[in-house]
Amino acid sequence: MMNPTPFRTGRRAVRGMLAGLALASVTALGGQAAQAQDVTTIRVLNWEPGGADYWKALVAEFEKQNPTIKVELETVPFDRYPEVQGPYITTKSGPDVMENNAGLELFDRRRAYAELPPEVLEAGKDLITYSGGCLNFDTTQSCYGLPFGYQGNVMYYNKKVLTEAGLDAVNPPKTWDEMKVACDKVKAIGKTCVAIGLSGIFPAYWNFPEIARNYLTEDDMRAMLAGKMPWTDPKMVNVLKGLASITEAGWTNSSAPSITMLPDGADIFQSGNAAFAGTIISDAVNWAAFGKILGDENLGAMRWPTIVADAPLANSFSGIESSVFGVTEWSDKKDAAFQFVKFMAGKENAELLSKVAGGISLNKNVDPSALPKSEALGQILEIIKKPTLHAGVLLSGQEADALARGWQEVALGRLTIEDWTARMQKALEQSPSKRQ
Amino acid sequence: MAELAHPATGAARTHAGAKRPWIRRDMLVAALFVLPGLALAILFKLVPLVRTVWLSLQETRGFEDPAFAGLANYRTMLDDPAVHDSFRNALIAFATLPVWIILPLVLAFLLFQKTPGWKFFRAAFFLPYMIAPIVVGIMFRQILAPDGPLNALLRTIGLAPLAIEWLNGPTSALLSLTAVALWSFFGLGVLTYLSGLSTVSEEVVEAAKLDGAGFWRLLFHIIMPLLKPVIGYWAVLCTSGILIWMFPLIYALTKGGPGTATVLPEFLVFTTTFQFLDRGLGAAIGMALFVFVALVSAFVVRRMYVEGAKPK
Repeated sequence: MMNPTPFRTGRRAVRGMLAGLALASVTALGGQAAQAQDVTTIRVLNWEPGGADYWKALVAEFEKQNPTIKVELETVPFDRYPEVQGPYITTKSGPDVMENNAGLELFDRRRAYAELPPEVLEAGKDLITYSGGCLNFDTTQSCYGLPFGYQGNVMYYNKKVLTEAGLDAVNPPKTWDEMKVACDKVKAIGKTCVAIGLSGIFPAYWNFPEIARNYLTEDDMRAMLAGKMPWTDPKMVNVLKGLASITEAGWTNSSAPSITMLPDGADIFQSGNAAFAGTIISDAVNWAAFGKILGDENLGAMRWPTIVADAPLANSFSGIESSVFGVTEWSDKKDAAFQFVKFMAGKENAELLSKVAGGISLNKNVDPSALPKSEALGQILEIIKKPTLHAGVLLSGQEADALARGWQEVALGRLTIEDWTARMQKALEQSPSKRQ
Repeated sequence: MAELAHPATGAARTHAGAKRPWIRRDMLVAALFVLPGLALAILFKLVPLVRTVWLSLQETRGFEDPAFAGLANYRTMLDDPAVHDSFRNALIAFATLPVWIILPLVLAFLLFQKTPGWKFFRAAFFLPYMIAPIVVGIMFRQILAPDGPLNALLRTIGLAPLAIEWLNGPTSALLSLTAVALWSFFGLGVLTYLSGLSTVSEEVVEAAKLDGAGFWRLLFHIIMPLLKPVIGYWAVLCTSGILIWMFPLIYALTKGGPGTATVLPEFLVFTTTFQFLDRGLGAAIGMALFVFVALVSAFVVRRMYVEGAKPK
């Protein structure tokens, strides 16, 4: 028998090592498999509505209630969300749960979502409304997601700046004419009247609905959603004229055409350099965030001043379920993902939203006394009592984009209302979700 | 002798009788070396290109199944003013190419001549290239704001009329964007030219100086002819940089605004495909961009690189 050569000994050693490695791998994989059986990890794409602390508390509470499910968050800034979500949907891969604005965005993207099973939909009955997760805002049709918070537009004002400008901070302007007087006085003290940013999707969501309420009825808005309301309609042209009047009158910061409302426009208001800012009631840049920086005592919230005082919706609130959470069609962890969606709409999360984030929940079972004390919040709770449809979320991606870009150019005096109208009409015709 | 001769004859017969291999060994080795690159090019270049062509012929409605639409997307594209604007913007940005070529060359030549502080500037010039473009965009959004540091500086040093709203004007916004891109990119050009200059004989430069050549004469009549291949390479790189690498800067700095003033075709492809969910139209614009870049690059290669590489 030949003595093994050093080479052969080495080869045997390598074989031994490989066998050991294989065994270790199998053991490790087995361990992982066993662990995977115990804990299901779901990935949730979100823009962190309500802030980081709220989401930390939310995930902790959910995992406490569901020890077999682990939540992994993929958080994307709000203004970049569509760009991140789009590729996921196009490639039909990615997170198990996705957030979306209620309304057409979800309608546009409904194929990316699994229809809610009855036991999950049941959780919607505890909410003031959940139609924003259903086709055509109709709960009798297929629903793809559940909301958790109430959302909509108000105009915040800085009482300190109003007082400095010689205005009555207790009675902020209620009409467009009063607003003009107020803005003249604010400008006279060297401050911006209305902080605004016309870049991105904010003009569509935060400004457009507030002017639209002066000219449109709810039926008009539903026609918009269906793509049956042309932009050449005089009512729609008036909405564009109303928007244009804000910048043409010089009420806004000069940087408006090139900045986004979030964070740039909100920064101008938060820094105390502007009297008014049109933003939202809940989730981000809300009364709690502004109050923290400006001081609760300096912050007020009001309905946008009316242009047409006797318009049917002039004194309504453009309200909408805030974001909606749904389970992705491609998820292979649907049970766990639906459990998360159900939790989002539940009472425990509603209380967290109010306590931690200062948000306004849709859940009917939350004790109103759990809400923080703030004058601006009190004003908001009054404003939201008369809700109507939120026209902003009824716009398609093309319309929202054309609205912002057109307004930027109108503000700079480079585009007429007629040309803006034509662009909006073209955007409508090019919207895949609104093609007839 | 006969015995010796026999095997030789036999070997010769064996060679003659053997079949000629269908592929030569050296060809096989060459093919093996080329194959991985070829496979990658087919998989990641050709296949996506063919798929994009096919997608551009489809009508897409959100995420519903597409339907064949022939050239409808191309017709829509040709009618769309936003598409016209984006290509016009691309041409304007491309017109700044000479600055992209000359500026780094001048700076590299200054470093090459060991101008005081050259060691510091050699590092400093390259620094912007190491900052992620998205961060550069966010930085300059603040710097170029109407009340930002740039305008504050201009006002402080008595140049208030120059403190314009950089990102509001249609021309100033596009030129600001291009300038920011140049700021971010020029360090690589300096480095590229320095590596080219290291091959230039100092004796040639010294001889020219003795003959009385000043900085600019040296640069244009001695250095540039010697560096033509490097300049050609850098020009091609800048062309693609201007036309297809600006996306993160546009995204962070202007989002294409105001209006469509800073929308370049690549940005339009992205918004059309992922924001408007019109994948067919997005693919058609992408194909138009591909043809545009191919034509412009061919022009630049022809003018700069091929001529530069000609034997002197």
